[in-house]
Amino acid sequence: MRAAAADRTQTPSTIYLMCAAAWFLPGAGHLWLGRRQKGLVFLVSLTLMFAFGLWLEGRLFPFEISQPLVALAAIADVGIGLPYFVAKAIGVGAGRVVAITYEYGNTFVIAAGLLNMLVVLDVFDIAKGRK
Amino acid sequence: MTSHFGLMVIFSLFVSVVFSVLSRDDPKEQIMFGARLFGGFVGTGILIGWLLYPLPL
Repeated sequence: MRAAAADRTQTPSTIYLMCAAAWFLPGAGHLWLGRRQKGLVFLVSLTLMFAFGLWLEGRLFPFEISQPLVALAAIADVGIGLPYFVAKAIGVGAGRVVAITYEYGNTFVIAAGLLNMLVVLDVFDIAKGRK
Repeated sequence: MTSHFGLMVIFSLFVSVVFSVLSRDDPKEQIMFGARLFGGFVGTGILIGWLLYPLPL
């Protein structure tokens, strides 16, 4: 499973670039490191999870510092990277509070973002040679 | 599919897949660990659901 890119010692700038790529496109960091199976699984599952949350009428929270929990949810939302910006650009993610699935949708969207942050940390560890 | 149970199962599936692939390298181990995680999530969800059942909320 271990690929050549993962075994090589990476320069700090390359490591941070890999982390940025991993954040921006779920699975991209693992693909870069040659871990194709993991990268593809993350790309498909996290993107699907995020889309599923939006389909359940979940909301993409705004950055409101006056409401700390909303701001934290917004940070978690952005954790998914490109799908977040695509959703914003096409105008989905307004959320419908009265929908039965609203809270479920939020849970899917937030969890997808947080899981992608874990994936970024995994990329960092692999690139550093810790895994 | 949008029942509480159905959504819990789908959520558990996504989280189990990501966690198992993150924490295991061998595909066979990933499947075993993912299945155990998935079963744990769903089983715990059902158990907590029944434990909360008598509460007057």
